[in-house]
Amino acid sequence: MPNPLLDGLRIESTPEPTAFVIFGASGDLTRRKLLPAIYQLSRAQRLPARFSVIGIARSEMTDEQFRQQWHDSLKEFAGLEKPDDVSSALAGCMTYLQGELDDAGLYGRLAAKLKEAGSPAGVLFYFAVPPGVYGTIVERLAAAGLTKPPNADGWRRIIVEKPFGIDLASARQLNRLMHEHLDESQIFRIDHYLGKETVQNLLVFRFANGMFEPVWNRRYIDHVQITAAEVVGVEQRASYYEGAGALRDMVQNHLMQVLALVAMEPPIAFSAENVRDRKLDVIMSIQPLLEDARTSVVRSQYAAGWVNGEEVPGYREEKGVSPESTTETYVALRMQLDSWRWAGVPFYLRTGKRLPKRTTEIAIQFRRPPLHIFKRISPTAIASNLLVVNVQPDEGISVRFEAKLPGSRMQLAPVMMNFRYGSAFGRAVPEAYETLLLDAMLGDPTLYARHDFVEASWALITPVHERWAALAAKALPTYEAGEWGPEEADAMMAAEGRRWRTL
Amino acid sequence: MEDAVTAKDGLLPGGRDVPFAQIEATLARLVRDGRRRRGAPARALLATVIAVGVQERLTAAAEALEQLGDVGVRAILISEGTHTNPVARVTEHSIAIAGLAPRYLNNAVAALRLSSLPAAVWWRGGSVEALDDLADLADRLILDTPDPDDVWAKADGLFEHTVVTDMRWPALTRWRAALAHLFDLPQVQRDAASLQRIEIDAKDVYAARLYAGWLKSRLRWTDAVAISIKEAAGDAPTPLVRVRLSGKALKVTLQVKPQGSCLEAAVEGGEASTRIVPLGDGSLAALIGEELGVRTRDLAFEQALTAAREIHV
Repeated sequence: MPNPLLDGLRIESTPEPTAFVIFGASGDLTRRKLLPAIYQLSRAQRLPARFSVIGIARSEMTDEQFRQQWHDSLKEFAGLEKPDDVSSALAGCMTYLQGELDDAGLYGRLAAKLKEAGSPAGVLFYFAVPPGVYGTIVERLAAAGLTKPPNADGWRRIIVEKPFGIDLASARQLNRLMHEHLDESQIFRIDHYLGKETVQNLLVFRFANGMFEPVWNRRYIDHVQITAAEVVGVEQRASYYEGAGALRDMVQNHLMQVLALVAMEPPIAFSAENVRDRKLDVIMSIQPLLEDARTSVVRSQYAAGWVNGEEVPGYREEKGVSPESTTETYVALRMQLDSWRWAGVPFYLRTGKRLPKRTTEIAIQFRRPPLHIFKRISPTAIASNLLVVNVQPDEGISVRFEAKLPGSRMQLAPVMMNFRYGSAFGRAVPEAYETLLLDAMLGDPTLYARHDFVEASWALITPVHERWAALAAKALPTYEAGEWGPEEADAMMAAEGRRWRTL
Repeated sequence: MEDAVTAKDGLLPGGRDVPFAQIEATLARLVRDGRRRRGAPARALLATVIAVGVQERLTAAAEALEQLGDVGVRAILISEGTHTNPVARVTEHSIAIAGLAPRYLNNAVAALRLSSLPAAVWWRGGSVEALDDLADLADRLILDTPDPDDVWAKADGLFEHTVVTDMRWPALTRWRAALAHLFDLPQVQRDAASLQRIEIDAKDVYAARLYAGWLKSRLRWTDAVAISIKEAAGDAPTPLVRVRLSGKALKVTLQVKPQGSCLEAAVEGGEASTRIVPLGDGSLAALIGEELGVRTRDLAFEQALTAAREIHV
């Protein structure tokens, strides 16, 4: 029955009574992201009246210790110096289960806990664990009858973290296994980039304005550059990163999602399936990397250098990294979308660690005017119009255009027109995990990856990995930490008379 | 023509007095100087806010708008009087006009509002006759007077001109949400029809009427449901102190927690449930900030106000 009091309420809709079950409750992701997101959602009155958290992990911990971890996490990552009424009330709704994830008994105890929590209509399982155990958890949940709601009003959903597989075969196998026990509508493959405000704004920018979409095509756009640069090195993630590399860690998921939002056709409505169908079209239109002569891939690895005011070791000298490692920490790609809209427009993607600054942006470079009529009086070549979407850290949109310099002479100069989220709206941008967790509880998968998108993305990436495996270390260039990638990436652009943007 | 007057009596103390005709040129100069001084781009302006009222209430409004910080608004503060040739006082993004004859309010607003961006009239009191003309110029009319009977009585006509709200409405948001979320619980849904009485202890009786009006309109209450409103003291920055709904099978209580920063919402009996949520920032700046974020017509408010007019304490 619809709730008459929610109608017209400015605080948006809240989920049905929900239990949030975290596998990997003692881990870093839980402490850094999930628990602070739960707290912020509660402060914003976005959680249901009946809400509970059940943490599950291998570590020995009492309920009391788990609650203490909650408070510690909020202190460290949500800036809450001491518990307040909201965090204390939520602490009372938190319990912990210790156990091995392959132990069927654990799931029996979980079922009992859910009953104790009043058998809530909704149960959201979050897999904050390595992907190798996803299958085990799903099988055990299904065997314990926890993947099916007891009645038609209820729901059971799971959120899985990246990486979803390590190649096309493993992604397909994982999808098959999940689909044996779960409907696709129950599976939420999280990509935190999609929870970022500027990434969501891409849809609004393109499809809620009439002036941009008419020029958003091959007729007016010269090329697109998407950059995701990190200053940090491999940090404490060497064991994961050695098996992943930049192509799996960033391109297969985050950058492909961003590319899809930039290049997609207008959906007929803003609904999950319409949006995800159009995004899939984009991925399907990308020509096979390395097989198509119009595509290029450059990989590289950082050598010792100087970043953020200090000397840093090369990747192979990092703790936990093999001295012979061939894992790429940088990758640059030239992609070609064969579609009516984008034929002939190259999409350049680059991402890397130990680059000079942390920034993620999408740059749309427009074609120059067909004739430079000011050439005689202002001989300098005019700069192309540029539209830049800053995803992080300085969220916003900038447009570069030519203007006349004040004075009696006709002199041209490029100027920027800026929109910044921080100054324009003056309100805090929610953390991506807040948006995404709430969407999962509300059953909205628009900002989550669908199985066919994930597989199509792996289908593009996997042949590149196979080619690299055959080449081994001999074809792996390096770049000095603190520089913008290897010369080979610059050469890839120069071969077409273009260059990477200086960020 | 009457003598010119200045805004010397308090509003925008750091501002510059200029004739009405020179307001825009002076603002442009101040913005340019401010940008140079700060070495940063000027903030984006998103709306015009026109606050109308007596001097003291405009001072509070000016302070609240100043506190909005990065939410860029052009603030126009106008107090009513008898003058037809006023001098204005301006700062980088604010304009104060003192003692303007009510019949010229709409002319002043028409000349000074930012074109192409939303304009909100923040009505803090004055001659209600001027409201109709102002409503035609505004995208949003925010009523905010201590004794709103006269403007509430005109509300039906105003609804036809523009989007109307009352500042009490955002102050009640947390109270409405807290109760609404309890209505998600199965036992509350099941027994809601048995509610027979609502008792509200409130610092602001009009806010209590609006809250009761909201419930009456949403839950389609008839006169069989008794509504009792009592004035009460409270320290928390929120208009209500306690709300209690009761019926044969259901009792729901909402009350401010002792520390005054949170609201406790509880269902008694059966599957008892308690929920604690922050009351949020109840300051004038926070409330007007929330209102400026809303652009669409609020039918829930309009129905609540219509019902509230019929509730007498």
